[in-house]
Amino acid sequence: MSSQQDDLKETDTEARFEFKKEENSAFKSEKGLTEETVRVISEDKDEPEWMLERRLRALEQFQEMPMPTDWPGQPDLSEVDINEIVPYIRPDIDKRGGADSWEDLPEEIQDTFDKLGIPEAEKNALSGVGAQYESEIVYQNMQERWEEKGVIFCDMDKAVQEHEEIVREHFMTKCVPPSDNKFAALHGAIWSGGSFVYVPENTTVEMPIQAYFRMNSEGMGQFEHTLIIAEEGSEVHYIEGCSAPKYSAFNLHSGGVEVFVGEDAHVQYSTVQNWSKNTYNLNTKRAIAEKGGRMEWISGSMGSKATMLYPSTILKGRGASDNHITIAFAGEGQDIDTGAKVYHNAPDTKSTVESKSIAKDGGRTNYRGLVHIADGAENSSTAVECDALMFDNESTSDTMPYMEINESKVDVAHEATVGKIGDEDIFYLQSRGLDDDDAKQMIVSGFIEPITEELPIEYAVELNRLVELEMEGSLG
Amino acid sequence: MSTKQIESLSEDTVRRIADERDEPEWLLETRLDALAALETAELPDVIQTPGRRWTDLEALDFEALVDPLNQADETERTAGDDEVVVLPFTEALGEYGDVIEANFGSVLDPEHNYLTALSVALFTTGTFVYVPEGVDVEDVTVRAEMNSRSLFSQTLVVAEESSSVTILESIETGDAEIGDDRYFSNLVEVVAGENANVQFGSLQNLDDDAYTYSLKRGVTDTYATVDWIESNFGSKLTRSDIETELNGDGSESQIVGTFFGTDDQHFDINARVWHQAEQTTADLVTRGVLDDVARSVYEGVQDVGEDAWNTSSYQRENTLMLSDDAEADASPKLIIHNHDTEASHSATVGQVDAEDLFYLESRSIDSRTARNMLVEGFFVPVLEEIAVDEFRDDVEELVLERLQ
Repeated sequence: MSSQQDDLKETDTEARFEFKKEENSAFKSEKGLTEETVRVISEDKDEPEWMLERRLRALEQFQEMPMPTDWPGQPDLSEVDINEIVPYIRPDIDKRGGADSWEDLPEEIQDTFDKLGIPEAEKNALSGVGAQYESEIVYQNMQERWEEKGVIFCDMDKAVQEHEEIVREHFMTKCVPPSDNKFAALHGAIWSGGSFVYVPENTTVEMPIQAYFRMNSEGMGQFEHTLIIAEEGSEVHYIEGCSAPKYSAFNLHSGGVEVFVGEDAHVQYSTVQNWSKNTYNLNTKRAIAEKGGRMEWISGSMGSKATMLYPSTILKGRGASDNHITIAFAGEGQDIDTGAKVYHNAPDTKSTVESKSIAKDGGRTNYRGLVHIADGAENSSTAVECDALMFDNESTSDTMPYMEINESKVDVAHEATVGKIGDEDIFYLQSRGLDDDDAKQMIVSGFIEPITEELPIEYAVELNRLVELEMEGSLG
Repeated sequence: MSTKQIESLSEDTVRRIADERDEPEWLLETRLDALAALETAELPDVIQTPGRRWTDLEALDFEALVDPLNQADETERTAGDDEVVVLPFTEALGEYGDVIEANFGSVLDPEHNYLTALSVALFTTGTFVYVPEGVDVEDVTVRAEMNSRSLFSQTLVVAEESSSVTILESIETGDAEIGDDRYFSNLVEVVAGENANVQFGSLQNLDDDAYTYSLKRGVTDTYATVDWIESNFGSKLTRSDIETELNGDGSESQIVGTFFGTDDQHFDINARVWHQAEQTTADLVTRGVLDDVARSVYEGVQDVGEDAWNTSSYQRENTLMLSDDAEADASPKLIIHNHDTEASHSATVGQVDAEDLFYLESRSIDSRTARNMLVEGFFVPVLEEIAVDEFRDDVEELVLERLQ
């Protein structure tokens, strides 16, 4: 052990030295994810030693774990070349300071921003450091009020510096350990950015806290970490942004979200994601709910080439509850494999999952879910409902729920339906003077309404607008 | 594969089985190919979620379970009608060799997995059912008793155009003193010609020392129907797969399943339907009850192919838990490649409804009787799907037996 530590120190010195030497050139060409890279990231952020150690341990685990390849019907990850990950990160570190410009964004993304009605000034900001949205201003205005209550909301890198003890206790320890899966380990090694939310006991944050993704403002923004800690009796609604497509040159996003729901606390986590269509979106999101705690996940998955994302909740304390509301839309060339996992580990726990998916132009959607009811979790109940809408014969829609029930005093129900868009419905709308596209659009809006009505109005509007754009096929 | 190596298994063994039965060369070749496939074949897929395999087939000790040259069974076959052929393979091969050769292994690839290959290489019993064009028979029965350590059975049903047949098959343990663990393997292939109608019911009630593997698969031509009734009551561990490929336009399949587990019984039940033609319909209904520390694993797959226009596909699975130590796992799956589809599936797990129980008790029915009545009632929706009275009575009787 001690000799290993000595080794580490030695390498450390070397790495520092090399880092200085190579920052702008030679390092870029290095292939594969190495210890040096991890050290550079940590050094760059001026992190405490323990965080570096955690990163290095995660790196080891990442290197040991196999790629997930044997799930029935899983998205094809053969293009995800681990050896290419680092070179993808490198250029961005160099670009810190906002070297990207609006013109550098692919046309389809520019087009989408235009159609979403994002003003010119914001468009410019989107590609650089200063991406500031209205939400940021809200954040500024409210900060004082929050601070008085003891609420902390800052970016994750800053949290490591300023709230070290809380972060050290919770960061990838109990909720999402790096050993959870290969991409959680990858995330643990090279994570960067993200949000830190801490809500003290019996504190209610009345307005949703919103974090829009600040594209390229941090070197490895696509490995962002979100840590939410809601103490006993507190309440918070966190919205993670991106109603607009996130653009990045990289093709892999591997984020991590950890939520601690204290006794009788209530956390709602909402997100509408629309990644560029060259992105592999492989996230790990998990919440642990204590006695009487309530977790709500609301998510819309629109973009990406392939998504594997199954937000999960561990209902740890008696009477804890969980709700999932998800919507997935897969267009041409997209494979959106998403669902929900719930572990009922205590009595009187409840969960509901409501999932809607739309597949069009050869896209694939899959609901992959797991409900686990542990022995002793008596009087637990769960209801899962999945509905899929398909537009054409090239598309695929699958439903793969798993239910593991170890307790008899439970109420478990799963239901799923798949259907095509109703010819009669379209005919009816057309007979009222709507053209074919508008009619379909209207039916889809109705189909996803149960989801949109759970979202704050501006997100609902933007989600609808995104669906509309997908329907027009104009997102590419 | 070293864990599955069986010492008594060799080319010689297979040749001896074929010789004794005076089988044609093609069947011996098929057996030998299956034997060779054991080298590389895998055990059947079992559902896995992080940290666990839902059924542990790896734990089967084939060396101890399989005794290929000492297979014994007592099987009664009744045709009920001269127009239909119901014979053991050995007798059928002479007269119907061509029909058998043309169809054997056409529905179910002997090399599908390790257990199917083992079964094809070693089978000594089973039945050939041949229903000529236009023939309509209702009461073909095959009642088998297992009297050896291991028994491999292979059944082929060929129903020609516009024929109709109802086949009831049952297996139970005979009186032979075997002791120790036993292994029963049952493969069934059904070929349903144009507009043919096959109903195949199966009742497995082996004793608790038995391990059972069964794979039944049917294919349908245009407008054909293959309906399955699969009842599992016995065995320590049962792995049962029931599958239909809907290959002809307008063809249909219904899979009705029941199981009742007590003690430490383990049931791994799989129902699969592939919609591969236009206007096909499938309906999968399974109900199971678990008591004591019994376990059930259920997987149902409705796979709608790209060309399966205007598909209707339904699935429901319900498990009733009578004991807190029982475990029920379920995974109903939809795989949809054609949008012109109406599909749904549902699964539930629950216990006897407390209010129902209270209601019956308030009518002065003691709680044990009340519970039994509710369990019987739970099976009613699937029993109603069983069109053959005799078979329904058998299932009902077994349910009652279990409730004693």
